Amino acid sequence: MSIQVDLVKGAKADTYTIPPIVDGTQPTRIVEGYPQTARRTPSRPLLRRPLTLSELTGPLDLSGRLAATSADVAGQSARRALGQLIVLRLAVRDEDGSPIAGTMVEMWQANAAGRYAHPNDSDHAPLDPHFQGNARVQTDASGNIEIRTIKPGAYPVPGPDRWWRPPHVHFSVWGKVWLSRVVTQMFFPGDPLNEQDLILNAVVDAEARARLVARSVPTQAAPGDALVFEHTVVVRGKRATPTEHA
Amino acid sequence: MMSAVSMPIGEATIGPFFPGAYVDAGANDLTRWQGRSAQGQLIDIRGRVTEDEGVPLQNVVLEIWQADANGIYRHPADPRAKHADADFFGWGRAATDADGAFHFRTIMPGRTHLPNGTLRAPHINVVVLASGLMRQLQTVMFFEGNAANATDAVLACVHPAAFQEALIAKADGPRKYRFDIRLCGADETPFFED
Ligand SMILES: [Fe+2]
Repeated sequence: MSIQVDLVKGAKADTYTIPPIVDGTQPTRIVEGYPQTARRTPSRPLLRRPLTLSELTGPLDLSGRLAATSADVAGQSARRALGQLIVLRLAVRDEDGSPIAGTMVEMWQANAAGRYAHPNDSDHAPLDPHFQGNARVQTDASGNIEIRTIKPGAYPVPGPDRWWRPPHVHFSVWGKVWLSRVVTQMFFPGDPLNEQDLILNAVVDAEARARLVARSVPTQAAPGDALVFEHTVVVRGKRATPTEHA
Repeated sequence: MMSAVSMPIGEATIGPFFPGAYVDAGANDLTRWQGRSAQGQLIDIRGRVTEDEGVPLQNVVLEIWQADANGIYRHPADPRAKHADADFFGWGRAATDADGAFHFRTIMPGRTHLPNGTLRAPHINVVVLASGLMRQLQTVMFFEGNAANATDAVLACVHPAAFQEALIAKADGPRKYRFDIRLCGADETPFFED
C-alpha cells in the first residue's frame, strides 16, 4: 500500500519548523511516585534543531521490514482468550484530520487478569495460554484498524510507590515521517482507576487527557459478540513549514 | 481555507512489557533487505544505554533512520528518492541487553542534499524508547573524523560545542563505531525536541 506524502510545501527551503507542542498536552517527563522517570530523563533542556529531510522523511511500508500479524488477538472457539471480548476501532490521522493509510501500528496489552505474557512480568496473576496480547497491523485505505481482543485487567506496579495501572492498551504508531513516530497508551472510559493513574495524569491538560481515553460505542449501535471502543491517534508532522529566513 | 487542527495524541512510556517479538530477528541489520545487500560501506555500531550514575539499562528500544550510501532517503519527500538504493530500507530497531548494550549493522550514510543545495554531514537519526521515559527521546549520531561535521546545521545547534562530542560515534576498529547513549547525568547525551 502506498502512502501519500504532501509534506514539503516549499521546494527551495533548506530547513523546516513545526509549531511547538502546546503546554500540558504531552506528559510531564518527570513524574512524582514513578522514580525511574527522574533517573532517565535528561537534566538539560532539549535542543531545538532545524528540521531537514531527515526528520521529514521516514520509513514507509514497514510491513516490508516488520512482520505483520493477525488483528485477532482474542482467538477463536476453544482457543479463545478468557475475558470480555472487545473490538478496538483505531483511527490514525494527521493533524488536519486526514487519514493515514498503510501505516504500521503495534499494540500490546495485559490479559484479563492483568498479566503480560512477558518475562519481565512477575505479577502473581495467571497467564492465559490462549493470550499473547499483541498485534502488528497496517491501517487500511481509510487509515483505520480493527483489533479483536479482550479487555485487559488492571495491574499493580511493583515497588515502594506501588500503584495500580488502570486497564490500558499500548500503541506504537509510525505515520508518514520521522517526526510522526508516537508511542502512547489508550485507556477505557469510566474506569475509577483512571483518576489515580500516574501515567494518564501526567498529561495535565484535561482535553489532551480525554484524547487518551477511548469512546465506548453504544451497544445498540454495535451488534455482535463484543463491546466496541473507538480511539483516534493524531500524529505530528504535517504542519511542518519552510523556515522563514530574515 | 485552513482546516481545523487536531492536537497530536499524548505520548506515554513504552513500559517494561514491550513484546520481545517486536524486536524482530534481523531488525538491527540494515545491510540486508528482502534477501539483497545494500550498496555502500558496511559499518557496525555498538554502544550502551545508561541512566543516571552510569547504570546500564536493559530493555531499551532504539530505532534508527538514515539515508543510503548516496545520501538519499527512501521517501517521496526526498527530491532524489527515485535514485535511492532499492536494496536499502533505511530503518532499523534494536533493544539493549542486560548490560545495556546494543548493536546495529548498517552502511555509512552519504551526505543528504537539502533543497537549497547545502549538504548535511553523514548522520543517523535515533529515537530512544524506554520504561520510565514518558516521552521518546530524539538524538542524532555523527561519525568521528568526518570534516563535514564542522558545518552540519543540526550539530551546530549543540551548545556549548564541547557537548557535540557526545553525538559523534567514535571509530573503534576497522568499520566499527562506538556510540554510547547516556540518558541523564553530567555527561549526558544531547537530545533534541521531537
Ligand atoms: Fe502496560
